[in-house]
Amino acid sequence: MESATYGKKLREEEFLINMGPQHPSTHGVLRLVLKMEGEFIRELTPHVGYLHRSIEKIAENRTYNQFMPFTDRIDYCASMPSNLAFAVAVEKLAEMEVPERAEYLRVIMVELNRIASHLIWLGTMSLDLGAVTPFLYAFREREWILDLFEMTCGQRLTYHYIRVGGVSRDIPPEFEKSCRAFIKSFRKKVDDYEAILTENPIFLSRTKGIGILPLDLAKDLGASGPTIRGSNYEWDIRKVEPYSVYNKFDFKIPTGKNGDVWDRYMVRIEEFRQSCNIVEQALDGLPESDTIRAKMKAVFRPPAGEVFSRIEAPRGEMGYYIVSAGDKKPYRVKIRTASYNNLQCLGPISIGLKIADLVAIFGSLDVILPEVDR
Amino acid sequence: MGIATATIKGFWNLILGLFTTGKYLPRKSVTLQYPDERWNMPERSRGVVVLLSDPQTGELNCNACQVCMKQCPVHAINVDQIKDPETKKRYPGNFTIDNTICCFCGICEEVCNFDAIKLTGKYEFSVFNKEELIYNKEKLQELGRDVKYTPRKKKKASDEDEKTEKKEAKPAEEKSETKTAGEKTESNPEEKDS
Repeated sequence: MESATYGKKLREEEFLINMGPQHPSTHGVLRLVLKMEGEFIRELTPHVGYLHRSIEKIAENRTYNQFMPFTDRIDYCASMPSNLAFAVAVEKLAEMEVPERAEYLRVIMVELNRIASHLIWLGTMSLDLGAVTPFLYAFREREWILDLFEMTCGQRLTYHYIRVGGVSRDIPPEFEKSCRAFIKSFRKKVDDYEAILTENPIFLSRTKGIGILPLDLAKDLGASGPTIRGSNYEWDIRKVEPYSVYNKFDFKIPTGKNGDVWDRYMVRIEEFRQSCNIVEQALDGLPESDTIRAKMKAVFRPPAGEVFSRIEAPRGEMGYYIVSAGDKKPYRVKIRTASYNNLQCLGPISIGLKIADLVAIFGSLDVILPEVDR
Repeated sequence: MGIATATIKGFWNLILGLFTTGKYLPRKSVTLQYPDERWNMPERSRGVVVLLSDPQTGELNCNACQVCMKQCPVHAINVDQIKDPETKKRYPGNFTIDNTICCFCGICEEVCNFDAIKLTGKYEFSVFNKEELIYNKEKLQELGRDVKYTPRKKKKASDEDEKTEKKEAKPAEEKSETKTAGEKTESNPEEKDS
């Protein structure tokens, strides 16, 4: 049978593709509406809101201590920084003094959680790009960190460890030895990841020069964390606005050069090493004390007022804006999460690229969807 | 960089990657074959919530002060307080924990003044029927029979209020009789407030 199009010119037109919400590379439920011209992306619209749980509204109906377990669920890959962000904000509101040992324990836990969170990113991103081995290695190391968390606070994912005024429990005696052993072995493991990925020709061709995020665009869209550091800008809340006891530690802020996928990868790889340094310094300087939580009244009522405070979470700035009416429940809580702003960068930088590159760029932004929707 | 250099560099890095994976090939496996092998849950593990009983008398430590019910962030706990008219003891009439919504945050264990409720390292509790996940008092007590715990002498300083300190001083004499009898007179400040 003769084809209907035989001898005629093939029709060309733009067409729409729905990528997600169940696409494996979207790490959750993100729906991207792509306007395609052949293989190339002409327009990209992210549709968010599939994971909305109205956590900000829940906060208005819970006391400050009761809301803490909900902060775990904002960013489930890095619950400790989410806890810390809320605790720091409430402590600023109530002008509370936190025991020094608790501050050191917080730093240790947050930095270990930063490593664990970046390990998930490394595993899933390399899996999206077709490298299966780093995924297995990353989750093997993450297991050790989760064991450390489990022996300290009893949970492996939703820790609920950092509280308003301190931490919930002191570390068990075997923690320090195990933690030092982990840091020692992890430094070698980072070299292993680099040996597999960093100079691998397949990985390089998928990442070098792809998804370049210019610095002014990153600033305009409010990008933060490793995303903006990859675009050669030294922006880290731990240095810019030190909270907790971060001003006592010696660490560097790694930056990239061009702002492509590979630079963002290298920034996170370097952050593994810097986090290891911070954990070691914190373990060395851990003061001996029995008090790990500031004295609080059974019914905690911070004074009326409003406060905004931010911390450096693994994905960037995480801030809490709390309005208190002097009641035991907050009047309003607004959560600023890094993933929401970082996700906005995805549209402009992936125009003109192919879908396969979109997967690489999305992986490198390290967006986590529950944090976008809250 | 010429094509020849790039090719050599590419091959060298592929070999380097293969060498790294090969390094782990003869090593011991890190995975556990779950139903056959099991791991030891740490002491602080936060799993299924149980009610603890006095090891001597076998009675529940709970005196139904309802603090855990009021402090639970997801309202998973429901306690009915019953007062015995003769002995004037308070005890829970019905104590249910809804495991379908429990988030295992451990707040109930922290606010409890009487070592009555605890999160344990038990984790296998899947059932076919959703309603079976709502545990009643008997089931919670049965689960807590074999759980070891160290009786808490005094409440943690961090959670303590000045009001509680004063009130604890009074019934200290009664405490020598039995544990539940001494504590029933003590009212928690949170109870009134919330």
